[in-house]
Amino acid sequence: MNHDQARTILLLYRPGTTDAGDPEISEALALAKQDPELTRWLAEHFARQEAVRAGFRKIAVPAGLKEQIISEQAARARIGIRRQRAVLAAAAMVIALAVLSPLWFRHHRSDDTYDLYQDHMASVALRGYGMDLLTNNPASIRAYLAQKQAPADYRLPAALEKTAVAGCAIQDWQGMKVSMVCFRTGKPLPPGEQSDLWLFVIDRAAVKNAPPVGSRQFVQVSGLGMVSWTEGDKLYVLGMAGNEQSLRQYL
Amino acid sequence: MAEGMDFEGLVASYYEPLYQFAFSLARDEADACDLTQQTFCIWAAKGHQLRDASKVKTWLFTTLHREFLGSRRRQTRFPHIELEYAAAELPVVPPATVNRLDAAQVLDTLACLDEIYQAPVALFYLQDCSYNEIAEILDVPLGTVKSRLTRGLGRLHQMLTGDTTGRQPQPPRS
Repeated sequence: MNHDQARTILLLYRPGTTDAGDPEISEALALAKQDPELTRWLAEHFARQEAVRAGFRKIAVPAGLKEQIISEQAARARIGIRRQRAVLAAAAMVIALAVLSPLWFRHHRSDDTYDLYQDHMASVALRGYGMDLLTNNPASIRAYLAQKQAPADYRLPAALEKTAVAGCAIQDWQGMKVSMVCFRTGKPLPPGEQSDLWLFVIDRAAVKNAPPVGSRQFVQVSGLGMVSWTEGDKLYVLGMAGNEQSLRQYL
Repeated sequence: MAEGMDFEGLVASYYEPLYQFAFSLARDEADACDLTQQTFCIWAAKGHQLRDASKVKTWLFTTLHREFLGSRRRQTRFPHIELEYAAAELPVVPPATVNRLDAAQVLDTLACLDEIYQAPVALFYLQDCSYNEIAEILDVPLGTVKSRLTRGLGRLHQMLTGDTTGRQPQPPRS
């Protein structure tokens, strides 16, 4: 190692650090001890280095930077916690929906129960309806209903068989066709009315909790007397303004 | 997180040297503050992955340097001017005043160095980082660090002392 090489190597030397452990630096330092010119240059170099180091360390750090870093991190952490809570709440909601939705749909599936069907047909009779076919011919009614693919092969109780028909309409019950056969009891009709006794026929499978075969159930719905029974694959609901006794005349 | 390192304690220990390093690179107070803050923000998110507490300092400086490089890539790069062609614009500090350098003079001079020399020189002076630490922070081989330091320090001293004899230090043998 010559004089110039030692100078170059000693450029990297910082007294008081681990730099002296570097073999090249320790060799250069040893050479500097024997070379007065290099010794003088090294002393000047240390002074320059210290001045530059001091210059770097005079870089003023803005007041409040530490507090700003800490407070911003705390704010981020709070936002993180809030976000985490929101995510947990959303996850809980999803789980709750997953758990409750079957119950919800089960509840809605219960809308196809007999009670609701009966209420719905009572409202049809009470709120007013339009007959699709006006006729006093029972065969025409069956033919029309069959043509429209509504229940047409219904069986009427003997007394009802003898009652005069006025026409028919087709109602809808959750996508299923309901045959509505309109009768006239012979009593005076309210103004604008063309029938006062109605029979609703639907596929039995379309209504849950329908009365068992062989039984008849009488109910009053909004002042309308109604009787229901099951026969074959059909559910029948007969309604009129009256009560059980009034209805029994037609069964 | 490295054992025994709470966030506030870590900030108290390192925010000043990190800021000084950031300022020496960016030479803008707002950018330096952002870099320092971003470094601690990354530490808060990922510091737990560091197992060795003795590596915290290196980890922080490495992160800050990467963030600086990332931010520089996103900015329009300044036109690069070779030192030799810009000699007339260099801030020459008379030798007598070298011992009274302030931060602005040092940083102005540092800014005149080629970019690749600036970070190692700043780390060399600011933190007395070992060559191995500088190599780790800058993600370059040890030999490259020594080479860049030799050239960078040589030019820095040359500019500060006004020595324009043109003798360039050669990298040490490795």
